[in-house]
Amino acid sequence: MKAKKDKERRFLQKKRVAWFFGIPGLIFVIIFGWYPLITGFYVSVSEISIFRPPEFVGLTNFKYFLDDYVFYTALRNVLYYSFLRIALTFLLPILVAILLMEMKKNVIRVMMILWFIPVASMAGILIWRWFYDIDYGLLNGILCTLGLPTLRWLEDPRLAMLCLVLPGLIMYGPGLIYIATIQSIPDELYEAAELEGAGLWQKIWHITLPRIRPIMAVMLILAIIGGMQIFSQPYILTEGGPARATYSVVMYIYDLGFQSYKYGLGTALAIILFFIIMALVVLQRKLLPENIDR
Amino acid sequence: MPLIPNVGRDTFKIKFILIIITLFLWMGVFLHLFPVWYMFITSIKPYQETFKFPPTLWTREPTFIVYKLIYRITEQGSNVAGGGYGINYPFYVYLKNSFIITGGTMAIQIPVTALLAYSVSKLYTFRWSRFLFLLCIGLLMVPGTVSIIPRYLIIAHFPFPTRQIPNIPFTNIKFPNYKLINTYWGIILPAGFSAFNFLLFKGSFDAIPDELLNAARLDGASEFSIFRRIVLPISKPIFAVVAYFTFSSAWNQFLWPLIVLTKNKMYPLAVTLYRFQHTLMHQRGEMPTDPASLALLNQGIGINGLMGMSIIESIPVFIMFLIFREYLMTGIKIRGLK
Repeated sequence: MKAKKDKERRFLQKKRVAWFFGIPGLIFVIIFGWYPLITGFYVSVSEISIFRPPEFVGLTNFKYFLDDYVFYTALRNVLYYSFLRIALTFLLPILVAILLMEMKKNVIRVMMILWFIPVASMAGILIWRWFYDIDYGLLNGILCTLGLPTLRWLEDPRLAMLCLVLPGLIMYGPGLIYIATIQSIPDELYEAAELEGAGLWQKIWHITLPRIRPIMAVMLILAIIGGMQIFSQPYILTEGGPARATYSVVMYIYDLGFQSYKYGLGTALAIILFFIIMALVVLQRKLLPENIDR
Repeated sequence: MPLIPNVGRDTFKIKFILIIITLFLWMGVFLHLFPVWYMFITSIKPYQETFKFPPTLWTREPTFIVYKLIYRITEQGSNVAGGGYGINYPFYVYLKNSFIITGGTMAIQIPVTALLAYSVSKLYTFRWSRFLFLLCIGLLMVPGTVSIIPRYLIIAHFPFPTRQIPNIPFTNIKFPNYKLINTYWGIILPAGFSAFNFLLFKGSFDAIPDELLNAARLDGASEFSIFRRIVLPISKPIFAVVAYFTFSSAWNQFLWPLIVLTKNKMYPLAVTLYRFQHTLMHQRGEMPTDPASLALLNQGIGINGLMGMSIIESIPVFIMFLIFREYLMTGIKIRGLK
């Protein structure tokens, strides 16, 4: 009898503490997470200006983008950017992580520490701006020393987008999350494969890749989501130029919302972007299911 | 070790492959460190030398004048404070802003997120915890930029999205509302909960066996002391990882401070550096027009100043990396996304 009562008391205390611990977080989740999202739908169908009360305008804000060439340019740019970034830099961290495992333990340690020495991200972008400089930049300096013609890098409309992706290609490194997974694969699997006469590629193909496949799928989704929302790099390196060749959708949202104060239009564009990203993610999951054999 | 067998390591072919791999990896390390070196060497070059072509990787006459910007700015510069682009205050002002924003974000986000994750993981009944989990994780589905304008509008007259503030029912008094634009709260509060860190915390707390907690409960420990005495010590690695992530994302954030803050005096480093480079790159070749940057140029500070500031901005991130290095390398296994 006493035990039962005690249990009940415990349960009550647990419940009380649960809410005590949870409430601050839930307040933040609701006020700064969900409330702006819901407000977003309200803003996207209204016209908000400083002087008048908000006015309901239906889907006008969404229709605006149907024949807005800036929107199509920006959309094409971010699709191209995401494609380029995934095509050029997605596999490299995986390859480096796999190869890194071949080194001796202490070499791995030293390399990892050197590799992950961080730079503030603004500093990382600014140094590339200086590398790309047409008159005094290091890249043109190298080209010049080699006797090659110099390039216009960020100011060449055909090259500009590639320039945004290039840092990721040149500064290759292992993906931390891949290393963690590869490390967890037992060595016996490789030894067994070896006894059966499997070569290097067969081991990668049949043992390593199937195990990092789910993580690759997640990373691919993150790469798409991140690529479609690119802002800082073009904003700082090219300011969307030359001739809007690197103008991204989020830059357009920023310009609409905070330069021309068209909050309704900006939010409508943000919602359109959200649905495009969602569609891409769904498409990606259809094409590349996380688990092939289960 | 796993791919290339230990037994055949001395045959010529395998040795050759290993050398190629080693070179490839060290090359990657080198390419990562080189920009930092170049940043540093540019920062100690005299102004004229930064415009030498082709650029040098070394300097004959190093000068550390750039680093004096931390505590000092030219007299002309401080006269035009508040106007124009670039840096109008000594650099420690911006450094301090960055520390306030980052410190505030860490102080609120980490405990709030951890406690919520703990209670969702261990304390609620099954149905509640499922519901709250989805409520938190749903935010992860929506990219941050989608709600950037409504978030700004809410911050502008918190907690109402428009200027039309309703009256308190049955009275003529308007609801209280706060303008968080141009305050650090406007940056810190929206970052009070992080869905990604929530996921990390929950994954880690889920791994703590229930039996352990129940045994402590049977011994008469209160829920608070269970959290403090058992959960916290076990979860040290995940706290370290989250602390590092929170620090670097708060330190590096750029778009949101750019929107919320409009006073030069309040900018964090990232925004200051951006505006400084904006001025520099736009008036290259011609004399600058605004007095602040003219004064800087007269002192011999241009692109070398920008690079010096970049180095300074990176130092705190680097220190945090050193502090949490051990946990980042080993504790990263906890980062499983499921």
